Amino acid sequence: MKSAITIAIWLLLFGASVRNSTLTAEEQLSDQQLTFFEERIRPVLVEHCYACHSERAKKLKGELRLDLRDTSRKGGESGAAIIPGKPDASLLIQAMRYESLEMPPKGKLPDRVVADFVKWIEMGAPDPRDGKAAPQSSRPKDGRDHWAFQPIQDPARPSVNNAGWPLSDIDYFVLHRLEQEGLKPVDDADRYTWLRRVSFDLTGLPPTVDEIEQFVENTSPHAHEAAVDRLIASRAFGERWARLWLDLVGYADQIGTSNNLFAEHGWKYRDYVIDAFNDDKPFDRFIREQIAGDLLDCASVEARAESITATGFLVLGDLEVVEADKEKMRVDIIDQQVVKTTRAFLGLTVGCARCHDHKFDPIPQRDYYAIAGFFHSTESTYKTERGVWSDVIARQLPETEAGQGLRAERSRQHAEKIAAMKLERTEASKRKGDLDKQIQEIGKASEAEAARAELAKERDQLAGRIGQLNREIVHAEFFAPTVPETYGVQDVKKPANMRITIRGNPRALGDEVPRGFLTVASDITPSLSPSESGRKQFADWVASPKNPLTARVVVNRIWQKLFGEGLVRSVDYFGLRGEQPSHPELLDQLATKFVQDGWSQKSLVRSLVVSHAYRMNSSHNQQAHAADPNNQLLWRANRRRLDAEAIRDALLAVSGQLHRSAGGPALPLEFPENVANIDPTNVNPPSFSLGRWRPQQPFVRTIYLPVIRSRPQPGPAELRNVFDFTQPAGFAGKRAVTAVPTQALFLMNSPVVKEHAKALSERLLGEASEPVERLELLWLCVLNRPIADDERTNARSFLDEAGENGWTELCHGLIASNEFLMRL
Amino acid sequence: MSVMNQLPIFSRREALKAAACGFGGVALQGLTGSTARAATKTLAVHVPHHAAKAKRVIFLFMAGGPSQADLFDPKPFITKHHGQTIAAPVDDHQLRVGVEKFLAMGPVAPVRPRGESGMMISDLMPNIASVADDLCLLRGMYTDNKAHAPATLQLHTGTLAESLPSMGSWISYGLGTENDNLPSFITIHPPEDVRNYGSSFLRARHQGTPLNVPASEKASAIKYLQDPDTSAIDQRRRLDFVQHMNRKLLDRVETDAQMEGIIESFELAFRMQAETPRLVDLSGESQETLRLYGIDGKQADRNGRACLLARRMSEAGVRFVQVTMGGWDHHGNIRGALRGSCAGVDKPIGGLIKDLKRRGLLDETLVLWSGEFGRSPWSQDLSGTSPISTHGREHQQESFCTWMAGGGVKPGLTYGNTDDFGYRPIDGKVHLHDLHATMLHLLGLDHERLTPRHAGRDFRLTDIYGDVVREILA
Repeated sequence: MKSAITIAIWLLLFGASVRNSTLTAEEQLSDQQLTFFEERIRPVLVEHCYACHSERAKKLKGELRLDLRDTSRKGGESGAAIIPGKPDASLLIQAMRYESLEMPPKGKLPDRVVADFVKWIEMGAPDPRDGKAAPQSSRPKDGRDHWAFQPIQDPARPSVNNAGWPLSDIDYFVLHRLEQEGLKPVDDADRYTWLRRVSFDLTGLPPTVDEIEQFVENTSPHAHEAAVDRLIASRAFGERWARLWLDLVGYADQIGTSNNLFAEHGWKYRDYVIDAFNDDKPFDRFIREQIAGDLLDCASVEARAESITATGFLVLGDLEVVEADKEKMRVDIIDQQVVKTTRAFLGLTVGCARCHDHKFDPIPQRDYYAIAGFFHSTESTYKTERGVWSDVIARQLPETEAGQGLRAERSRQHAEKIAAMKLERTEASKRKGDLDKQIQEIGKASEAEAARAELAKERDQLAGRIGQLNREIVHAEFFAPTVPETYGVQDVKKPANMRITIRGNPRALGDEVPRGFLTVASDITPSLSPSESGRKQFADWVASPKNPLTARVVVNRIWQKLFGEGLVRSVDYFGLRGEQPSHPELLDQLATKFVQDGWSQKSLVRSLVVSHAYRMNSSHNQQAHAADPNNQLLWRANRRRLDAEAIRDALLAVSGQLHRSAGGPALPLEFPENVANIDPTNVNPPSFSLGRWRPQQPFVRTIYLPVIRSRPQPGPAELRNVFDFTQPAGFAGKRAVTAVPTQALFLMNSPVVKEHAKALSERLLGEASEPVERLELLWLCVLNRPIADDERTNARSFLDEAGENGWTELCHGLIASNEFLMRL
Repeated sequence: MSVMNQLPIFSRREALKAAACGFGGVALQGLTGSTARAATKTLAVHVPHHAAKAKRVIFLFMAGGPSQADLFDPKPFITKHHGQTIAAPVDDHQLRVGVEKFLAMGPVAPVRPRGESGMMISDLMPNIASVADDLCLLRGMYTDNKAHAPATLQLHTGTLAESLPSMGSWISYGLGTENDNLPSFITIHPPEDVRNYGSSFLRARHQGTPLNVPASEKASAIKYLQDPDTSAIDQRRRLDFVQHMNRKLLDRVETDAQMEGIIESFELAFRMQAETPRLVDLSGESQETLRLYGIDGKQADRNGRACLLARRMSEAGVRFVQVTMGGWDHHGNIRGALRGSCAGVDKPIGGLIKDLKRRGLLDETLVLWSGEFGRSPWSQDLSGTSPISTHGREHQQESFCTWMAGGGVKPGLTYGNTDDFGYRPIDGKVHLHDLHATMLHLLGLDHERLTPRHAGRDFRLTDIYGDVVREILA
């Protein structure tokens, strides 16, 4: 009754005009259709849908409005809600049936109601609700004019008043901006401070006493350049810069997060990155290899192995491999790969476009699926025999002849070792059997007690040994030498475009999207043969000099590591809501030069650190601070706390304990006690537990220690837990730097810091006999500068009071001080 | 949104300069509540979005996935067909291990109506059953993954992978702290994966501080809280030296937020050194209270101490205290093992609710009890040949039970129902995102307005999801 009245009133008020104004001839509604809509459809929509999907919604959900005909048909984030005549293809019906989405969320509507909607859509979804939704104000019409999407320019060097200050092109840009604002750069840092700064920035290690003395005494005008060249050429350079790169990878020596699966080949990617930085691999090649190394042409077997290893980039993040729904797992992995590559290389957050057009940036949903198509055509994991587990693909690496020879020899030795263990086991079992028999024969007579005990002792020892041999044989067989392998990806057999997945649901599919690039930054469409994934073409596009984002993003990342803040402060995000560049011309000039120099990161790093801008001290200036408190214009150097790796490596260096490793496996899987579940019948896959370490591991640089994703960093890597190490499931172009009490407690009370203090004091006592000399040495070692007079006085009275532990206590105090933890 | 902005935290320089005494002196001043203390208010209390029902949360995390079919949601259909193959309405997209026969398995012990509300609770948890009328049971919970690691992460952070702030961090971020001498988020016997108590892109002061019930007199509850091998005089001397060096450097550079922050963090560390042992020392609690929590050297002792500590921490103003209690992953022999798991938590949890209530704390404290998912109503047998009496149950993401108490939820309410199998919710469906939204709501926070920006995007605990479950609000 009520609805009949509603209809009557409604017809009276609006019916006629609607029917004649906007509907096409085919859509003219009959009274019967109208009645059906008003009686069966509209009340349900009003009661169950409008709260979230209409103009009156407090917050519109899924961008879907169901209170207008147009918006209902157009749909929201997930696609067209109503396709007239096609109930099964209409998302609204799928959602009401709880097939893809589940709507309304509080509970499924009765079947009768769903049947009404099906019938209504079959009729052509006759709908009198005219009207247009107001255009959305939050979305820019077109973000294409945003600076980061414009071609990179090659601006000329600006002029400056103080022509004596610049040492390099960079300095003209920096000084020009300061002069524009009426500011002056502060004075230069003293030589000690500069050397400490550049040593930490380039190698993650403090300068040695010899290096300090050499540099301070070098009066050549090129002393700074010489120091830089020495640092850039050292192996420590790659060890430092590789770790910064790994922050963008989500690297860990663990597959996924569940059950401690070991990523036994992960270190090969890590070593690849170290070598890439040390060999100054052109950065565009570095990018191409990480996206599509398996598809690139290579000049040698070694280069091919390297190139395949590089694709570890795509799979060494936090891939969840224990999802029971494998199709869902696959689309989630694709998502991670899209997000990771676009964020690391392009500085964009494309992930939002998985479900809807990006709200701020000109990245339509179709662009996301255009890129996702490359990874959709790529295999990253395979289903194992165990339970619901998958694993990352281990790709075989090509071997040189020499490599094959070495492996054959290793296999032979390994087989011998196993044979020897088996032989020992056989003999031990036999002997044990004999002993069992003898013990039985002796019987329980008390007079034979001593003899029996002796035999029993030997037998028990043998039993223990047999148990140990069993474990070692299983372990040795599991880890037998094989063809070298590494984690990587490969193209699928039948590459294909991807279809839009509604809200990431692999079974709620929308349109197919041809593989392609971001339309805002490209007008090319790749031409692909049917057998190609297109990853190579994607890599070429990312690493192209014409890409407006890549070179800028890379240059800005490197700048940030050296100057503390990026020219664009949001280093991982160059989109519309990111920061504007503080020096846009400088950014473009650096990017242009970088590309011209063959994408050489060593040249770039060198040009930055020999600049005058890098040479300033970090002291305060009242006037400049008032005008530019955040130092965006670079009137002084930025001070920074060292990161976790630099703190630990510096502790090892100053206490004289640093062990120079050449890389290799991070996880000590060679110890059987560190490995579990290698028995193939287990439901869970092989896993690790780090109980035993190699003797030298506590002393290697932090980059060589295992990175664990799901637990606190273990053993010698513990310091990472305290000093803002990037969670290896996360992604951080710039790490957080925090100051929390756990750090203070660690510095003051942890056994690790105490041991370093002790080792440092022993070093002092060994290297200098007089207290005065020791103090000089201590300050030079730890703070990398001479001790000041008042500090000497203070230290001497400290030593007098502290008594026998004085030196250790003093060392402890110094390595817990801000000046050691900071790079000024 | 202005109330949610990060307050300037490093304003310590003046106070430090004014302090003529050494570093230790400053720390001590902090403890006695002088001006130094006011100046070090690092996590000031923020004004919430709307009137709050709860001020604090105690989250009891049942790691492993407790069996709701045995504890809270028995199904006559399943009991009737115990041991028989049933036509389970399962999702064909999921791989399965050990459940191929779909043998219905009834509850391992009777589940009965309790109290005036008639809430269904198992005989295995008599103490929790005795506070049934204080609980608000959600039987239509569901989540997005059935593996421990991702499901646990989603319960804590809303996401299945990645690294996003934990709910305790969100609450610390949203509300600040009530006690300057303690962290605002403490996690007792923390879950393995550090992300479950990490603050991700929120500042590290919002991260959970792990705490362990000290195993001995000498052990400390927080890692490196003490340096037991060094005399107090030597420790003080060391500190004063560090402080002296730090102050001189700060004088040299004149101003540096970072350095001031480090100096300040040392101060909080030393206030914690004084405060924490006092808080974890249970010797002042009465015998009756210890008994209430099951602290008797037997199977519930460890959890009892943890729950009592949680009450003490919460009482002292810690915003979010989590206690993790494991042992719920019953893939086999649930008949035997569930009894022990329940015995380990029943008194501690029942005791906690009673204790909070009698101290008048329950109204302003929201207690949340949850696993990362539930367990299947049919049995699991990994060997494929064992008798049903030795079977366990498989993980279940489609439905499980969670309960809340205090803090503005309807006491005695059973909300939501599952189908005849206890497999899918048929009404009162509550996703983890909805649970998070509701929890924030009770604390006076609007989950859609608590949106810090990071990497060009606004983040929420509930991502783009979540509805407040208004039906359960008191």
